[in-house]
Amino acid sequence: MAGIFKRLIGTKPSEWAYVVSRVRVMSRKLIPADEYNKLLNMELDEVIRYLEESEYKKEIDELGFKYSGLTLIDYALSLNLSRTYNKLIRISKGVPRDLISAYLKRYDIWNILNIIRGKMYNFPQEEIEGTLIYAGEYDEEFFKTLLIKETIEEIAKAFEGTPFYPALEKIVRVCPMSEFEDDLYKIYYNSLAGIKADTLDMKYFIDFIKMEVDIKNIKSILRLKSEGASVDEIMPKIIPRGLQINEDEARKLSALEWDELLKSLEGYWFWEEIKDSVDGAELSKIEAMLDKLWAKKVLSKSHSFPLSVLPVMAFILLKKIEVDNLRIIARGKSAGMDTENIKEQLVIV
Amino acid sequence: MPVEGMVAVGAGLAVGLAGIGAGLGEQGIGAAAVGAMAEDPDFFGRGLLMTVIPETIVIFGLVISFLLMFI
Repeated sequence: MAGIFKRLIGTKPSEWAYVVSRVRVMSRKLIPADEYNKLLNMELDEVIRYLEESEYKKEIDELGFKYSGLTLIDYALSLNLSRTYNKLIRISKGVPRDLISAYLKRYDIWNILNIIRGKMYNFPQEEIEGTLIYAGEYDEEFFKTLLIKETIEEIAKAFEGTPFYPALEKIVRVCPMSEFEDDLYKIYYNSLAGIKADTLDMKYFIDFIKMEVDIKNIKSILRLKSEGASVDEIMPKIIPRGLQINEDEARKLSALEWDELLKSLEGYWFWEEIKDSVDGAELSKIEAMLDKLWAKKVLSKSHSFPLSVLPVMAFILLKKIEVDNLRIIARGKSAGMDTENIKEQLVIV
Repeated sequence: MPVEGMVAVGAGLAVGLAGIGAGLGEQGIGAAAVGAMAEDPDFFGRGLLMTVIPETIVIFGLVISFLLMFI
């Protein structure tokens, strides 16, 4: 009884009410599902004009004199995403702010990976900078100082004393980039899923993280399994602490043949809704189905728990999906792909 | 304490507790209304209306206190 009381006291409705209502209004400004059909029939210039009349106006106007075409869309989308996520941190305080900031730390990893990849393949500084999203713990200034650094050793040194350092030290000792990426995400998810769930807010947040880990793990298992990878090759890619797919479950699933694997996924929370459409589908389509299901799940949970972190998480996810969709449309158009092919890649919720 | 004194305490409690209750109710609604208005000023009218709805509870408290004191 005392525990329940403490949990209820732990949540401050006004803190969540403010952030959630702002986020709900922001969600209304996201591009509606039926608008994508219109966008798919536009040329690249028309897509830019469309964005100029939407929430991306400021970024398109700001960057329009410097860039054009696909580059303009790419940079404008990244900048808008950074600003939107930073706004979420700015408008929240207390527990909401802590949880949102903790989740957005994934963009620190995104930036570290992009900078190191860029340095490895000698991309120009400006091009790397265009891909960065400053929404994590480290600010724009910090990443700009990293961009100036010549070698990966120097970049790794800047993270000395942080949780990312062991992984960065490994990349200096030349490990494959994919292993480095896996290590960073494991550090990130471990730190989030390891938070003690002593209030309802924390519990919702940790469950959300664990479900996201499940989706990531099942995607890794399916992708590697379709390429014929063995259990030992799959296991390093698995992120521990999933809701249903922990390390033991993942080991069991990885040992199965493709058909058996699909059969044994029945009963998992993410499989029920998509199992009928999976038969004979390409892997990329199954992955898109999982992404769509995940977004839908978060959205429906956010309606069930309106005064919690879930509506904010749903917005973060939907905003990312929107930016990814716009990027896919822009890239597809500039590469001359046909509309149907582009549409198949989109995640429309 | 004479009965009249207890009635006055009761009347005070009726308004005071109703006020605290309304305040607790309004904290979430007010925060949400301000949040929605910050994003879109068109929510001003609806936000204001929703914020004052819990105030009715205080009116009930006030009515009870009048009943106690004067009837």
